[in-house]
Amino acid sequence: MKIEGTQKIAAPRDRIFAALIDPAILQKCIPGCEQMEKTGDNQYKAKLTAGVGPVKGAFTATVSLQEIIAPEHYKLVVEGKGQPGFVKGSGELNLKDAGSETEIQYTGDVNVGGLIASVGQRMIQATANMLAARFFKSLEAETATNSPASSTGT
Amino acid sequence: MAEKTVGKPIKRTEDPRLIQGLAHYVDDIRLPDTLHAAFLRSIYAHARIKSIDTTAAQKLPGVVAVYTGKDTQKIGPVPCAAALPDLKVPDHRPLAGNKVYFVGHPVAVVVAETKSAARDAVDLIEVDYEELPVALDEEKAADAKSPVIHEQFGTNVAYKLTAGEGDIEAALKSADKVVKQRILHKRLAPIAMEPRGVLARYFPGEQELTLWTSTQIPHLCRTQVAIMIGMPENKLRLITPEVGGGFGSKLNVYAEEALMGWISMQLNRPVKWIEGRRENMQATIHGRGQTGYIEIGFKNDGTLTGLRYNVFADMGSYFQLLTPAIPTLTGLMLSGCYKIPAIQINVTGVFTNKMSTDAYRGAGRPEATYVVERALDLVALELKRDPVEVRRKNFPQPNEFPFKTATGLFYDSGNYQGALDKALKMADYTKLREEQKTARKEGRIMGIGVSTYVEICALGPSSAMPAGGWESATVRVEPTGKVTVLTGASPHGQGEETSFAQIAADELGVGVNDVTVIHGDTAIVQYGIGTFGSRGLAVGGVAVYMAIQKLKDKAHKIAAHVLQCEKATFVDGKFCADGKGKGEVSAPSMPVAEAPAGALPKPNESGKTLTMMDIALEAHVAKNLPADMEPGLSATAFYEPKNFTFPFGTHIAVVDIDPETGEIHFQRYVAVDDCGKQINPMLVAGQVHGGIVQSIGQAMFEEVVYDETGQLVTGTLMDYAVPKAVMIPHLELDSTETPSPVNPLGAKGVGEAGTIGATPAIVAAIVDALAPYGVRHIDMPIKPEVVWQLIKNGPKKTSAGAA
Amino acid sequence: MIPASFDYIAAKSLDEAISLLAKHKDDAKVLAGGHSLLPAMKLRLMQPKVLIDLGRIRDLSYIKEDGGLIRIGAMTTHFQVEISDLLRRSCPLLPETASHLGDMQVRNKGTIGGSLAHSDPAADWPASILALDAELVATSAKGDRVIKATDFFVEMLTTSLQPGEILREIRIPSGKSKPAQAYVKVRHPASGFAVVGVAVNLSIDGGKCQSAAIGITGVSPKAYRASKVESALKGNALDAKTLSAACAHAAAAVDVNSDLYASAEYRKQLATVYTRRAIEIAAGRAK
Ligand SMILES: Cc1cc2nc3c(=O)[nH]c(=O)nc-3n(C[C@H](O)[C@H](O)[C@H](O)COP(=O)(O)OP(=O)(O)OC[C@H]3O[C@@H](n4cnc5c(N)ncnc54)[C@H](O)[C@@H]3O)c2cc1C
Repeated sequence: MKIEGTQKIAAPRDRIFAALIDPAILQKCIPGCEQMEKTGDNQYKAKLTAGVGPVKGAFTATVSLQEIIAPEHYKLVVEGKGQPGFVKGSGELNLKDAGSETEIQYTGDVNVGGLIASVGQRMIQATANMLAARFFKSLEAETATNSPASSTGT
Repeated sequence: MAEKTVGKPIKRTEDPRLIQGLAHYVDDIRLPDTLHAAFLRSIYAHARIKSIDTTAAQKLPGVVAVYTGKDTQKIGPVPCAAALPDLKVPDHRPLAGNKVYFVGHPVAVVVAETKSAARDAVDLIEVDYEELPVALDEEKAADAKSPVIHEQFGTNVAYKLTAGEGDIEAALKSADKVVKQRILHKRLAPIAMEPRGVLARYFPGEQELTLWTSTQIPHLCRTQVAIMIGMPENKLRLITPEVGGGFGSKLNVYAEEALMGWISMQLNRPVKWIEGRRENMQATIHGRGQTGYIEIGFKNDGTLTGLRYNVFADMGSYFQLLTPAIPTLTGLMLSGCYKIPAIQINVTGVFTNKMSTDAYRGAGRPEATYVVERALDLVALELKRDPVEVRRKNFPQPNEFPFKTATGLFYDSGNYQGALDKALKMADYTKLREEQKTARKEGRIMGIGVSTYVEICALGPSSAMPAGGWESATVRVEPTGKVTVLTGASPHGQGEETSFAQIAADELGVGVNDVTVIHGDTAIVQYGIGTFGSRGLAVGGVAVYMAIQKLKDKAHKIAAHVLQCEKATFVDGKFCADGKGKGEVSAPSMPVAEAPAGALPKPNESGKTLTMMDIALEAHVAKNLPADMEPGLSATAFYEPKNFTFPFGTHIAVVDIDPETGEIHFQRYVAVDDCGKQINPMLVAGQVHGGIVQSIGQAMFEEVVYDETGQLVTGTLMDYAVPKAVMIPHLELDSTETPSPVNPLGAKGVGEAGTIGATPAIVAAIVDALAPYGVRHIDMPIKPEVVWQLIKNGPKKTSAGAA
Repeated sequence: MIPASFDYIAAKSLDEAISLLAKHKDDAKVLAGGHSLLPAMKLRLMQPKVLIDLGRIRDLSYIKEDGGLIRIGAMTTHFQVEISDLLRRSCPLLPETASHLGDMQVRNKGTIGGSLAHSDPAADWPASILALDAELVATSAKGDRVIKATDFFVEMLTTSLQPGEILREIRIPSGKSKPAQAYVKVRHPASGFAVVGVAVNLSIDGGKCQSAAIGITGVSPKAYRASKVESALKGNALDAKTLSAACAHAAAAVDVNSDLYASAEYRKQLATVYTRRAIEIAAGRAK
């Protein structure tokens, strides 16, 4: 399943890129991510509670950052397993300056397996889109020029 | 004398218990101390199992045992009865070994005191998988570059087979034209209302295992399970209580059946497993699954010269009982109801990372009929001729039967023109075509589809069957005159308890309610084959008829003896003397006074006639029998059919299409089916109805979908669209009756006709509707979106198998 | 198909239900008709530890009209809505919507409140509730809170009900003139849920559309008001040209769902066509 789109965030490209490779910020942006623990270079182990509305499941996941070309490109790969099945997502993000803002183009590939794949067919695409939207919304909150988080410089 | 019922639409005697919820299915059988089983199934389509940790599951309160592939090595492979030259047969064990091959592949089974504990424990089993690349599409999986599923074979090609007669190359060369088309028969899920279920109970003292299972083939299943778990066959009793539909999916022997038997022997307690609907979607066989290429050659006058069908058949990752044999049935029926001098099928059976395919209602024949009927429509389109005309042109005449096909069959009897004419008249075909012209002028989209089909039933002569094609029956007249019929053709919804009783009642001069039909218990019923391949009546029913003839022979002798004559005749339910001899009952024939009140028949009025009841009593009291005659009144027959039977018919669908949305609405649905002699027209209509409904499902809604990673995404009935009553048009049905010369009942079989005849008619109607847009063919299921795309963009710009 | 184990408590009053919910918090779910909750539990997609059954609370099931408002208790079943004479007279959109929902068994058990609280993206009620400018009354230990329909649906399977809140009542302003309403639906062939469901509530006077409220479900992760269509209709005669121009906006400004049955492109087409058809039917009924 593909997800793609563009997102504009009112923050300089460098700051956004820095946020994208910062595990502390990533943890806040990845929907439902409760814990992230470094296991190697750009490799993390994470605990997620992901889902929609009341339908949620706990996943243990690996998060890895690949193809890092600061400040324009990187790939985020998340693989999670849990009682409701497994989720594998990879997204390539390309950052461009757009005036004072930054435009992020993303294309992602999401595969789900197990229970969620076999019973959630009609909602999976929408869920994936929604989770992507949440990711960027949080990213915006963390980095936008007027946001408190951005001034702390994390 | 009871009224004759054969040929009458009497109500099913099984219905009251079904309607009132009083029938007993496997899950309704409750035994004390029963344990419950739940399966952990693979969530990957193809993966190596690195490790399985069952510790946490074992520790959960209530859990009695957890078994994995390693623990169940002693259970033999799940059987495949099909034998084909050079067939590669994977070692199919009940639980996965080092690898899993499809989503739903059983990996472990938990046995616990309660269903909940068993299910809870499943979530506690940790499996470490290493994912492997998948082979999913049957055509691509056959390619040398595809990931290989069974490494030991080095290929996914399970077998290749060529069949047919006549010089196909010459036939296609001699044609004025050849048309080609690629077509898909998508995978379908049989979706019996009752999923599978097994209850096993072992008595260690008696060393007896009883297995209650929802199957179409109790005896074959007993034999195979006994072999799998290594126990003497006659210590295994297999009972099929009420079976809530099978549609071929229970014409099988499943891993779970052997496992439950084996587990109850390990634990010395009854153990039960009832399949859930998700499991049913994942791990009960699927049907169809073919990607094929048609080539048909014809003369400018419409005469067919040859047909070739090259097909990739999706096997799934393992074989179930008949998996590789299904496409061979497609090959057999490729002549349809036409004279085609040369026919060739080239089958490539291919392993894929999916559940096994196997027999689903029609089993290979819907594919054949669809191929031939689509081909005939393409010929008509190419020649700009009416599809009806092209069909008629190639029909054999009624006096040409038995008709030999280039697939090696002899069609028993037929009158294809008769059924076609009747259907055309019912539909008022000429008027429909005129209406279509008007509709097109007015911008409405209307289509008419006609399918003329023949199918192969009464499977079948043993020489052509993997495990015997005969059927058995025992008929017994009890001392009180009640008739007991034991049949090996164990039904699962067809109504054989009624139709077999009708046959027995008429033959023996008793009422239908005096007859009890017993089936599905291997400890009671002599060995039999089962109900599938539209064989219930035309093989099983004939066996009943044969047994009755033997029994009547004996009854006649007893009657002659008692009536003190040379020969007795049986007319209108009464034996009477033929004139030679005394012709009166030799008294006293029976100790009536000693019998409890009402238990014995009343002596007949004049002493000059005897009923079957009188004879039965004589036979059991055994005080006045001919010298050397054995007491009792019972006979058994094992009936071996000499040929298949070939029912046929015409189906006509008329559809209107919403030009803005592509939604398809039925305007009419007309069908004339000929299944030979009808014992009960209501049962016939019921079978035809059900079959057409499943055909509508295949044509318009149903498709088992695995995504590109092999996940089964039509995993529940929220996504897999079984047709509902509101989606079905009024079905206008009629029939013709061309008796079969193959058996004394003249019956052919009708269990699958609907799924065979209807699908091509529906697809033809939709394609015909879209002909003005340049459409020649659309692959099933034809969803409104595809139709909308075709209306909007034409076939060139629309994918989805439209051409 | 066996749920994880849970405790079951039948609340005898709304107050008791509220305090039970306050006590068990996230561990608890209220149980209405059970026709969304139980299937999810059987699949173990949801595993609440406690179910608080509202089924025994009599005074949550009613349909009445007072003070210019139609009031429907949250526990009113789909079937009760379908056969209500009051609603057939004064708000026929609701019975019509109910008649499209599931099958007889579902309508006999499922409740309007349960459906709204569940907020399935393909459920039927949200479309009609939006088109009727309904208000939803949520209640908790803190008392009642009134939520506008347009604020109620947050995203897929998510409403603005807060933890501890129970949906108590649905309020609909009772109309004055003869209602020009219609609900049309394209059923998914498997689930029967809405691939597209359009609820239309018009007021027509002097051959012109005075106001239009259109709720659409099934098309997007949550039901929405087709406001661009509404504004294109307002003040205009509902002729073919106006309609087709207006309805082209049926799926404007929303993320359109796509699934195995219908791509986003096709869904958009269905939304466009069925919005027009719903308006035509509604307008026809005003005559
Ligand atoms: C076979 C089938 C077909 C269906 N077809 C359709 C269809 O075509 N269209 C359609 O719209 N729906 C359909 N449904 C869903 C049906 O309408 C459900 O009844 C409805 O969605 C949920 O209502 P319920 O009363 O059953 O709620 P429940 O299942 O009991 O509850 C649903 C959720 O809402 C919460 N909840 C319930 N009541 C309240 C309340 N008063 N306050 C706060 N939270 C509450 C519960 O905790 C739960 O999370 C179908 C269901 C089935 C089983």
